[in-house]
Amino acid sequence: MATVVEQQQEAVTAGRGPTAGSALGAERALLRFLEPHFAGEGFPWTQLWGYVGSLVLTFAAFGLVIHHLLTPTALLGLVLVLAAGQASLQLGVFMHLRESRGPAWQVLPLGLSFAIGVGMIVASLWIMAFKWGVS
Amino acid sequence: MSSIPLEGAVSAAWPEAHTPEAAEALPLEFADQEQSIAITGFWMFLVTDLLIFASLFAAYAVYRPMIASGPSAQQLFHLGPTLLETLLLLTSSFTVGLVVWSMRRGHRRAMVGWMVITLLLGAGFVATELHEFFGDVALGASWHTSAFLSAFFLLVGTHGLHVTFGILWALALLIQVARKGINSITARKIYTFSLYWHFLDIIWVFILSIVYLGGKIG
Repeated sequence: MATVVEQQQEAVTAGRGPTAGSALGAERALLRFLEPHFAGEGFPWTQLWGYVGSLVLTFAAFGLVIHHLLTPTALLGLVLVLAAGQASLQLGVFMHLRESRGPAWQVLPLGLSFAIGVGMIVASLWIMAFKWGVS
Repeated sequence: MSSIPLEGAVSAAWPEAHTPEAAEALPLEFADQEQSIAITGFWMFLVTDLLIFASLFAAYAVYRPMIASGPSAQQLFHLGPTLLETLLLLTSSFTVGLVVWSMRRGHRRAMVGWMVITLLLGAGFVATELHEFFGDVALGASWHTSAFLSAFFLLVGTHGLHVTFGILWALALLIQVARKGINSITARKIYTFSLYWHFLDIIWVFILSIVYLGGKIG
């Protein structure tokens, strides 16, 4: 039996088949990552697996650091990769990143500000490394 | 309910996303156009908050080696309480996911129950963090001690203040839901609260990885 949310999902996605015009089809393919998508199912499996996944990522990071299996640089790199995985999991599973009435425009400024943030941190470290050298 | 047509390529690509029939089938907080716009606005707030935390991370990364006569990250941090804080916050992120999940099914009692559990887990996180902070200060490691500790308390404290504010916000939402039930406005507020809470979880994961685990790596 289809749940209410599944019926809603069908209603939303109905009529979103391939567009007849090829130009429209190409634009749709280009902007596919902005296509709205709504979460909903009878039992919160997505949330449950998201939680299990987040725990696995956390214990993996703690385990790697406690046992010092790698060189410091490789270890920090791997921990940051696990953190990025955790962030994507939270965004995708729990924050329903692409839920929107129209195109999910929030994806663009969010990605942009993340890139600016990483740039700020890396550039700060870089420029301050010069200062210690000359003073 | 009228819908605003978007200009340009995207509205041409998804004309049907803006028809009133499609919008009415959406969850409550998106079916109402005004509330849907408020949700997009809340995403923009999260974007600016992300930049605040990025600045604090940059300051921490630069000042981390400058420990003056105070302790280093390796000497100061304990992974036990950090693991506890992480588990509390990750679990609360899961339960606030269930808040939105039950809200969309109209299960008001389940929604309130998960919300209360989320609040208790958040309070546990703040208590553990305060215990850690007061322990550090008792050892003589306060924000006066070194540039490293100033940046540490500023970054981690700003996150802790966000969580504290989130708890107060959720308490106010619980009162509002008790009085008005689940309508498009309260549904939107619960939804944006869940976005805020997951966002704080993401920030914490980076604090954990860069500050605490990074501090133990050396």
